[in-house]
Amino acid sequence: MKNIRLLLVDDEDDYRQTLAKRLTKKDITPEQAESGEKALSILEKKKMDIVVLDVKMPGMDGIEVLHHIKKKYPRTEVIFLTGHAATQDGVEGIKTGAFDYLSKPIEFEHLLGKIKQAYDKIEREEEKLRETEFRKKMEQQMMTTERLASLGTLATGVAHEINNPLAIINESAGWLKLILNKEEMAQMPRKQDFEMALNKIEKGVDRAKRITRQLLGFAKKDDFVLAEANLMELANEAVQLINREAANKDIEIVQEMAPNIDTIWSEPYQLRQVLINLLTNAIHATGSGGRITIMLEAVDGEVALTVQDSGHGIPKENLDKIFEPFFSTKSTGEGTGLGLFVTRRIIEKLGGTIEVESLLGRGTSFCIRLPRYCEIKEDLDQDERIRFLDNLAKQSGST
Amino acid sequence: MIKIPTKVLLVDDEQDFVEMLSLRLNEMGEKITVAYSGREGLDTLEKTDIDVVILDIKMPGMDGIETLREIKKKFPLVEVIMLTGHGSTETAVEGMKLGAFDYLMKPADFADLSTKLEAARKRKDEQEERIRKAEVKLLLRRSGDI
Repeated sequence: MKNIRLLLVDDEDDYRQTLAKRLTKKDITPEQAESGEKALSILEKKKMDIVVLDVKMPGMDGIEVLHHIKKKYPRTEVIFLTGHAATQDGVEGIKTGAFDYLSKPIEFEHLLGKIKQAYDKIEREEEKLRETEFRKKMEQQMMTTERLASLGTLATGVAHEINNPLAIINESAGWLKLILNKEEMAQMPRKQDFEMALNKIEKGVDRAKRITRQLLGFAKKDDFVLAEANLMELANEAVQLINREAANKDIEIVQEMAPNIDTIWSEPYQLRQVLINLLTNAIHATGSGGRITIMLEAVDGEVALTVQDSGHGIPKENLDKIFEPFFSTKSTGEGTGLGLFVTRRIIEKLGGTIEVESLLGRGTSFCIRLPRYCEIKEDLDQDERIRFLDNLAKQSGST
Repeated sequence: MIKIPTKVLLVDDEQDFVEMLSLRLNEMGEKITVAYSGREGLDTLEKTDIDVVILDIKMPGMDGIETLREIKKKFPLVEVIMLTGHGSTETAVEGMKLGAFDYLMKPADFADLSTKLEAARKRKDEQEERIRKAEVKLLLRRSGDI
């Protein structure tokens, strides 16, 4: 009963104050209002569980106040106090949404009982609401899991089916190139055109190959090859790869690398991919003339790698979602919604963490922390599943 | 220096792939025999002298791993390089535990393939050389006994 937030509304000062005193003795300290208008202005500022409301008041009467309360604060319960034998008012009150009514003169114990009942109702409904939200969240998580599972299956299938024809294209182009290099072909007309086109085919195959491997890398967990990784070099390579895009938008890329960082034991190619993902995002978020900073420093025996942009920032409501699969604010076809999701999976797999800070209109920074020596968790999916199940048990146990 | 051709058996159900890769390897001076299934590959090995088998893992009927087991049982000296269009390296690793020399992912980088082919051939040559030397020793000892 102590936690009940109660508002007592009655224009008769003596009556109201007496009631308030008695309630206070019972550990419920009510707020008081001497008119409907005052009651509403208190409700504006402070959330109330229960309003005990006199019907007959000068100015705004109880029924009108009740209307306002139910419209603006549907979860606040109202107990009506009607005049002697004015059952009509009480009935109308209940029709409007009051919890119940009591006729004056009231018995204090009676009022106390009603307050308790109303509060029980509030608690029940809050619990129901929590349950609904929890179920909704779980359903969403399950949907995500299913979507990922089917994406994984699809990805593996696609990658395999495409790798085979890709291999045929690759061998054919390679063979033609071999022939072109034979002595008998030295005088072939327009030989350079053929060579140029064949090189383009091979480059195309390479690109497609990278994509299928990435898809498989997403679906599979065991393609990590740990090696010495020089973050400074990896950053340089990543910058080179996206440099043209940055230059097109007149974005300056600054590297602030602490000189004393040695190589770390990790997965260089995945880390480079992470850097490319983050830099590409940064370029997309940053307007022309902006600046992107890559920072590398040693922190508490780990290394911290930060990609910071001066872009448009991420709205608060999106910050929680950006690492979710398929979440994208880019228009369809431009973003897969997988970039940051894959990025986080890679970082977590490598025993690190990734955090984001963003200020609307000022920019965003992604900070990665990596251990100097990485030991791969063998079965990340299993870990995730166990964590998920643990959380589930905890949550359902607490409600 | 004249290149001694490596005798390669290419086993894959993808006909176009087999055709193109064998043309390419031929052009590089290797000696290629082809087979379009595991069974056919094993039959070929019965009749033909082969140094290295390039073996696709995923084939209908007798798959690559099964074929590999048979090869290693009947022709232990023949080296095998596994080819996989699949992302999973698990099968490839399993293959290597069963005695495959190495594996490549499709589409394979040709330089990689050449290097591995060369190395596989070298291992086979060295092994045969050791066997020959051992045989010679054996013969000498026997004649010494006499």
